[in-house]
Order: sequence, then C-alpha cells, then structure tokens
Amino acid sequence: MLMLDFKQNYFQLFGIPVDFHVDKNTLKAKQQALQARFHPDLFVNASDQDKRLSVQQASHVNEAYQTLLNPVKRARYLLEINGLELNDETETTSDTAFLMEQLELREQLDECRDSEDPISCCDEIADKLKSRAQQFADEFVAELTAEQYEAARLISRKMQFIYRIQEQVMELQFNLEDELA
Amino acid sequence: MSLLQIAEPGQSAAPHQHKLSAGIDLGTTNSLVASVRSGKAQILTDAQGHGLLPSIVHYGSELKLVGAQAQVLEASDPFNTLSSIKRLMGRGVEDIKQLGDNMPYQFVEDSDSKVPRIKTSAGNFSAVEVSADILKVLANRAKESLGGELSGVVITVPAYFDDAQRQATRDAARLADLNVFRLLNEPTAAAVAYGLDQKKDGVIAVYDFGGGTFDISILRLNKGVFEVLATGGDSALGGDDMDHAIGEWIISEAGFDNVDAFLSRKIIIASRQVKENLTNKESTDILIENGDYRWQGQLSRHELEALIRPLIKKTISPCRRVLRDAELDKSDITEVVMVGGSTRVPLVSKMVGDFFDRQPMSDLDPDQVVAIGAAIQADILAGNKADDSMLLLDVLPLSLSIETMGGLSEKIISRNTAIPVARAQEFTTFKDGQTSMAVHVLQGERELVADCRSLARFDLRGFPPMVAGAARIRVTYQVDADGLMSVNAEETTSGVKAEIVVKPSYGLTDSEIETMLRASMENAKTDVVARMLKEQQVEAHRVVEAIDAALAADGETILSSDEFNDIKQARDRLEREIETADTETLKRLIKSIEKSSETYVARRMNASVKQALKGKQIDEVEIN
Repeated sequence: MLMLDFKQNYFQLFGIPVDFHVDKNTLKAKQQALQARFHPDLFVNASDQDKRLSVQQASHVNEAYQTLLNPVKRARYLLEINGLELNDETETTSDTAFLMEQLELREQLDECRDSEDPISCCDEIADKLKSRAQQFADEFVAELTAEQYEAARLISRKMQFIYRIQEQVMELQFNLEDELA
Repeated sequence: MSLLQIAEPGQSAAPHQHKLSAGIDLGTTNSLVASVRSGKAQILTDAQGHGLLPSIVHYGSELKLVGAQAQVLEASDPFNTLSSIKRLMGRGVEDIKQLGDNMPYQFVEDSDSKVPRIKTSAGNFSAVEVSADILKVLANRAKESLGGELSGVVITVPAYFDDAQRQATRDAARLADLNVFRLLNEPTAAAVAYGLDQKKDGVIAVYDFGGGTFDISILRLNKGVFEVLATGGDSALGGDDMDHAIGEWIISEAGFDNVDAFLSRKIIIASRQVKENLTNKESTDILIENGDYRWQGQLSRHELEALIRPLIKKTISPCRRVLRDAELDKSDITEVVMVGGSTRVPLVSKMVGDFFDRQPMSDLDPDQVVAIGAAIQADILAGNKADDSMLLLDVLPLSLSIETMGGLSEKIISRNTAIPVARAQEFTTFKDGQTSMAVHVLQGERELVADCRSLARFDLRGFPPMVAGAARIRVTYQVDADGLMSVNAEETTSGVKAEIVVKPSYGLTDSEIETMLRASMENAKTDVVARMLKEQQVEAHRVVEAIDAALAADGETILSSDEFNDIKQARDRLEREIETADTETLKRLIKSIEKSSETYVARRMNASVKQALKGKQIDEVEIN
C-alpha cells in the first residue's frame, strides 16, 4: 500500500502553504482525496498489517484535518512546527488584565440566563468574543511573521480562552432556543 | 452449476467470481437482510416470502424459535419470549433498573458478569446471545437464497450507539460466526440507498425513528462521497415508547390495578396494534381480555397524538442540535429522508416537515431502506465493484473523555470528529517510583463524570520507576471506522510499552464470549450436517432449473432425441430425490447430470459463440 510520509507536517500533507490563513474548502477537498486512498473500507480484504496501516494513516489524515480546521489548534500547531514545546496542562497566562476580562465575561454570561432578554444578551457577548478572537488572530499572525514565537505562544493561549467561552456561549444559546421552541 | 451457465460473449460472466455478501439491519422490532443480485440490492425473504423478521426469540425448554413463530408466543409465554432486545445491547445491570420497568423479563441477579442475563426455560441469555440467534437466522436466509457462503456482512447500528453498544453488536456477530466487513451507521446506510438510487448531490437530513432508537444525521453527498457532517439522537427513544404511552392510557382507562407480565404483554401488543391502525384510520376499537374481565374502549387519532406528541417533540431538539453542529441552516438542507417504522405515524412526518419547512421524503420503504444501503456497501466491500468509487466518511457520535481530578471529565476527542481518528495524551507520575496508573474513559457530552457513560477503566502497568513528574506516559486513543475505541500506552522517555489491563464497564469479557462460542460450536456440530444437506438441496434445485432453462432454449435443436432423453432422465431422478436423499446421494446425482450433459454444454458453447459472432465485424470481437 501507498504510505504517507509521517515526517511531513500537516500543511505539507495537505499541499498548502504553512500559514495561519487556510481555506476550508481546500482542506475538505484534500481530506477527502486522501481518505479516498487510505480509508479502512478500501482494505477490508487486505492483510491485518495493511488494515492496521490503513487505520493509522486514515487517522493521521483526519487528525491533520481537525488541527488545520480549528483556528486555536492551527495556531498551536504552527508554534510546534517552529520548534516550541507546548503543554496545555501547565501553561497559563499571567496577563491579569486579560484574566479580569475573562472573569467578567463569564459573570456576564451567568447573568444572561436570568436577564429579561437572555437571547440578545448572549448575542451581545458572542459579538464581543468574535471581535476579540479576530483581534488575537491578527496579533498572532503578526508575532509569528516576526518570528516572535514566545509572544505568539502567549497570544495563542488567549485564543484558547476565548474559544472556550465561545463554546459555552453557543451551548447556552442553543439551550435557550431549545427551551423557547 | 457453472457448467450450464453460459454467458453471452461480451457480457461479464463468471458468477463464481462474485463474492457473496449481505447487509443486515438488526432492528429493535424487526430485522432484515438484503443483498446485491444482478447489480440490484434486494431484500431477501424467507420461504413464505416475508422480508421482515420480527426481532423476537422464544427460548422454550425444548424449542428455540426466532421471528414470526416466536412472536405468536409473546402473549402466552412472556418470560421465555424475548423482544426489543436491542434496547439492552451494551447496557449494564444498573441501566436495566431504569429500562426494566418496561420489560417483563426476569433478570438473573447477583451474577459476576457485567452483562445482564434474562432467565428463560432454556437457560440464561444475554442480549448479545439473543441478537446472535437473530443474526444466525438472517445469515442462513442469505446463504440459502444466494446459494453459498457469505464472504462477509455489513451490520447496521444506530449512529448514536455508543462504544459499548457497538461492541455488543460486534460480539453478537462473532457468536453468530459472521465476518463483519464493517458496522455501518443506519442513517448513512439510508443515505447510500437514497443517494445511489437517485444520483443526487446535496445536503440531506436523515431522520431515523425506529422501534427503540432515534437518530438524526446530516450528510453531504458529493460525487459518491457520503460525508456525515453531524449526528445526534437518543439511543433509548423509539416506537416502543409510543406503545408504552398508549399502554399506560389503556391501564388507566380500563382501571387495571394489578398488571402482571401476561397482561402487560397483552396491553403492549394491543397498543402496537392501535398505533398501526391509527396511521390510516381516524379511530380504532380496543379490546383487552384478562381472565374473566373484558375491557372495551376506543381511541381516536386525535387522542393518540396528544399521548405521543411529547415523545416526538423529544426528537426535534436533536434535529436543531445537529444543524448547529454542522454549522448549517434549515434552508441548506436539500432533502429530508424518513427512515424507520415509527416515521409511518402521521404526526411524526408532520412535525418533522414543520421543523425543516419541507415535505419529508419516503419514496423508499422506511423499513427496508437501511438494509438496502447496507447491502450496497457490503457488495462494494466484498470487492465486487472495483471501479465503483463510494466513500463513506463517518463521525464519532459522542465525545470521548477521561476522568480528571474532582470527578470532572476532560474531552479527548469531540463528537462529530471524522473517524477513524487517533489522539494522544501525555501523563506524568505523581509519586516517586510510581509504576502504574489508572485511566477512566468516558463517553458523553456532560462535564461531570457521573453524567457520562463509563466505557472502561484501564490500568497502565509496568513502566519504569522514576522520580515524580519524570515519566512521560503517552496514551493513544484510537477510534476505528466502526466507531470502536482501543487504547495503547507508552512511557516515552524509556520507550517501554505499558501493559494495559482493560476493564470494560459494560459488555462481555473475552472469556465470556469464548465460553459462549464453545457452547454454540457444540450445537453447531449437529447443525453442520443439516446445513450441508440444505446446501446440496439448494444446489440441486439450481441444477434442475438450469437444465430446464437450457433444454427449453435449445435442447430440441442441438440434441438428438436419445441425448435429450438421457439428460431429461437424470434431471427427473434428481428432482424426485431432492427432498429425500442424503447429502452424498445428492452430490452423486448432480455429478452424474454434469457428466451426461458434457457434450451438450460444449455444443451450446459453440452455438452461442457462433450466434454472437454472426453479423459482427471481426474487429469488434475482443480477443481475451
């Protein structure tokens, strides 16, 4: 069977430039083209060895796809291929202003539930988060381009915080809409 | 008998190269088997022409019955007649306490196994064994109608089945001695049946409401690629729940106080009938006889809808969620496909239609569409359609997490991630010299461990002792294309592979399965003789049919009357003996026909080639 080159980074695997900006449609098309070569369904009658290899390679392709698709994971991955060792467990941010802002956002979100118009309350926070996410993404790209990896790492950490709250907002939005329906 | 089956030149011949395969829909209420024959997927029927096999098994003290024959005994012998068993697949003893109210069975108490077993006159059986008995009947039906051994099968499962439920299905197939190419999600199977049928591209929503499970999936169809964008549902919500809602209404209307297992079954059977009657009638009569007590009542469709509306409403919320997960709007959906018997209820299609703002499609029989799709996939996986490019890209239905400090769960792989997928995570040690650690794997979306489903506990052992925090234990979680998880672990600084001791939270252990396999092998020895005879009989029927077809076509033109009579006599002899002769005799008779028709075959071949060449330019003839 054809083998993937596991030494290639995910951008090389997908045949796209190493860049924070990616085109979702290109990613999807490439993912499917690669799955059309490695998906385990194509190796149902193959040897156990080839079956295992197929699962391994198809998994690698999907993992690459997920990493490149998600902006936070993509940012962290860009740092990794630039030689930074990252550890999600122990890393924190010491930017107190940012932490305060996070706490406030969370509090606001908790209050949304009991507010008069919870849905627009959520929408407001979602808009705020969206513009913050954009701002951090721009800052990240600037630091990365300037090869200021340590500064970029700190920003990627903030992106991660924002992304998590965004998920919580979406979950609350969903539950609110669901209750109304 | 390949000797007599002469293909026209230019057409693909060699039926022996076609590997036999089947798609199996192992349903809560009914099961089906389908296969691709002559390029078309068909539901395979039993001798009476029935496609649906009721998923019911009767374990009598002397007799085991599966399907319609078992169904007859449902009311009179409820403890030994097991139905809706799919609801117990992959479930633990604790779960049964919740589901148990609706199940009239007697469960074996205080057993060592994690798997609940039901007491019957023939012994104690787990859901896996009951499912295996249903699978065996379907597989035999396929072998008989296709005339040979199956190279493999595709078995469908609800997309929303978790790891334990999928593993239980795999175990059942193993007990039934089936080679499973793949477990396929039911909505994906339905999409294949629809998509290939209609050659459509677009985004479709598959609403699959069966007897015991509900699934909603959003798929993008694009040039033979079926990509699942998001999936959701409720693996414990189905038509059964409608029957129970009706049943409760009957109990309160009739004023039954003491409902024993017998009466309970009667009421459920009547409820099912009421539900079915009201799909095309406005009102229906109900009669329940319990000893001397007779209760007669009437239910209108309007009243029924009031009873079941809350249940159907429970399906709409997952619909909204999958749209959100797929980052799509209702207007992006090009088609809504209805699957599963429960979608026959008019209120279901109305509420689903209202939600998606479009008329749901049910061109294909909602009971059959899943098995049809599975058969198409099985045919491709068997390798019969080398140039047919179809790719099914599925997703993980429920997030995989591990337990962290304080009873919280931490996501490793989020739901709706394309599978197969692997993700690694690094742990370190807390104590000096620590050589083992425990990992608790969960499935579900909730934050608290207690709200998620426990899949397994792993003990990682045997990595080298180091100072606290120095060891790096890399645990890799692998989900395969069936949605099944496996784990391996390695201490990366020393490269030592940790030994993993898996304690599945549910499901059978390997040794339990082996014991069951051994027991079924012993039964199988007696079955083997019967099966070989059956196979020869099927073969004999085919030979007789082939001879008849050949003789009718050209027997009198290319055979002398003596030759004709010789073949005819051998054929008649075989036909007379089909039902009475033993395996060896049948084999001999078939051989003797082959012998006496050798010249005939040769002549037919020549005649056929001449016929095909007639009127053709010589350069049109392919030389192989």
